[in-house]
Amino acid sequence: MEYVIELKNVDKEFKVLNRHEGLKGSFQDLFSRDYKIIKAVNDVSMNIKPGEIVGYLGPNGAGKSTTIKMMTGVLQPTRGEILVNGRIPYKNRTANAQNIGVVFGQRSQLWWSLPLIESFKLLKDIYGISDKDYKDMLTLYESLVDIKELYSKPVRQMSLGQRTLSDILAAFLHNPPIVFLDEPTIGLDVSMKAKIRNLIKALNKEKNTTVILTTHDMGDVDALCERIVIIDKGTMLYDNDIEHLRSFFGAYRTLLIKTKKHPEELSEDEKNAELTAVETIVKEDFTDKDFTFATTDEGWCSILIDESQVRLMKVLNHIQEKMKVYDVRLEEISTESVIRKIYEDAENLKKAN
Amino acid sequence: MKRLGFYISIYRKIIIQDIKSKMSYRSDFIISMIGMILTDVSELLAFYIMFLNFPSVCGWSYHEMLFLYGFSLVALTPLQCLFDNNWHLRHYVYDGEFIKYCFRPINVFFYYISEDFDTKGLGQFFVGMGTIVYAWYKLDLPVTFVNIAALIVALFAASLFMVAIMNIAAASCFFLTNSGYIMVTMNKFRDYAKYPVTIFPIFFRIIFTFIIPIAFIAYFPSLVILRPAEIPFLTWFSPVYGIIFFYISYRIWMWGASKYSGTGS
Ligand SMILES: Nc1ncnc2c1ncn2[C@@H]1O[C@H](COP(=O)(O)OP(=O)(O)O)[C@@H](O)[C@H]1O
Ligand SMILES: [Mg+2]
Repeated sequence: MEYVIELKNVDKEFKVLNRHEGLKGSFQDLFSRDYKIIKAVNDVSMNIKPGEIVGYLGPNGAGKSTTIKMMTGVLQPTRGEILVNGRIPYKNRTANAQNIGVVFGQRSQLWWSLPLIESFKLLKDIYGISDKDYKDMLTLYESLVDIKELYSKPVRQMSLGQRTLSDILAAFLHNPPIVFLDEPTIGLDVSMKAKIRNLIKALNKEKNTTVILTTHDMGDVDALCERIVIIDKGTMLYDNDIEHLRSFFGAYRTLLIKTKKHPEELSEDEKNAELTAVETIVKEDFTDKDFTFATTDEGWCSILIDESQVRLMKVLNHIQEKMKVYDVRLEEISTESVIRKIYEDAENLKKAN
Repeated sequence: MKRLGFYISIYRKIIIQDIKSKMSYRSDFIISMIGMILTDVSELLAFYIMFLNFPSVCGWSYHEMLFLYGFSLVALTPLQCLFDNNWHLRHYVYDGEFIKYCFRPINVFFYYISEDFDTKGLGQFFVGMGTIVYAWYKLDLPVTFVNIAALIVALFAASLFMVAIMNIAAASCFFLTNSGYIMVTMNKFRDYAKYPVTIFPIFFRIIFTFIIPIAFIAYFPSLVILRPAEIPFLTWFSPVYGIIFFYISYRIWMWGASKYSGTGS
């Protein structure tokens, strides 16, 4: 079998009731046929090979989780075909579940009040893991992360980071060929994110596990994924490796400027005000050119410039004439900017049609 | 579908671990247990005071009523201890978090229900057992093998009814957007289970027998022990009826769960 996951022209529609207000309304709803259709996933196809780490990206509401739910057998696609480990997931939910690991959202799937090691032991029974495989896996875990000190800790007493870590370990415990991670690093601090990324990378290497990971954190993508699939409003925009993507946008460079002495101390609103000021200045002189503006975590203003349209130095000179610039940095286009660019292009394409 | 032995073994392990972890919060554990016992005992006291004024209610003596009360407490113990997680179901469903129960290679109903063991119910069990034994002794009922076996079968059947009612009430959240009141209303009905169904007007008697069958929780089964001479025909079917009713409630629950996620199994 060449592919572990195959999706062919997959659609998912949700029928949503147009609800009525009040008690009388809820009675009406019982018999109502007043539905509207939401197309959450629209004609998605992809093939995934064993051992790949695929970043499944898209803004909120793009349809990422819905796709994962279909691959895990929890949702049935409206149209199209899905094969996971050669099986149709929704027709064999339990058989499919035996051969995948899932971490979904921020809520733990472990037993809330039990010490971690007891959850692991229950999973050992549920998945029928042999004593030897179980022991070997724990030995591997202990060599990768400081998990031993968490064994006796009930999940309810863990920090979000510890819980995520535990959930990921639990998902790999029965050594499934595929692990799905839905936004695994959301809400974590920088060092915990790094730890989780290293762990995922190491487990993928060690066990050749296929990992499908949804995220909108570009750090995850840069650290983990050789291949990314981008989806927006249910439609696939891109499926290729990251290098290809970068070269595709080779003419783009990012200009970063510091407009205040200590921009990291600004509030979100003040940061946005700075960005708007810069945006106004740039746009008044280069009216017909395309730019993408953003603020970095440290409060710098970032401007994505297509150098085939206008030279970066020209833009910088113009800004410096109009406002005080404390510091300047140039960057090759970041993955984040590339992806934002792809969304925008898709938007423009739609508008043009 | 995995074998029964597999589920029993897992269930045993989960419950043991859960009780262990709850006992480790010792003061919480003891206080909630005492709270439950006090609630039951204060109700018993109300019974006692009521019967100071009336020698009997609708032909039921104090000790017979006591028996019925104890019986209902014990019959409700499985609901309280083993199926308490049903109370949280609608929160999981409305938050979209219920999905996390769909990712394991085991039955979703089992996985969800087995997650929580409510230790408070144990206090209720002991108060109920004490009350039954006391009433049994006072009523001078014979202690025969047949009687004891009948009691156990009757308790088993009775508990199935209450669990089934609450399963269905909980599952309503899969179909309705504001289902909280259904659970609360159904839960109130269990208070009526403590009284002989004959004290209610005929209209409610029919409802409690056929629609929301709380008469099967304590009244019909108790008759087998208390008044074997005047058992209504229906009583003999109550264990079978209980199992069927429980199965129906399970199917409804699973149907709701698959409607929620959009898939069967
Ligand atoms: N069960 C559902 N019923 C109705 N609409 C849904 C359901 N699940 C998801 N959606 C809708 O489908 C779209 C995609 O959602 P989702 O897959 O969760 O996006 P993402 O994970 O990319 O943020 C959203 O517009 C969402 O509102
Ligand atoms: Mg999502």
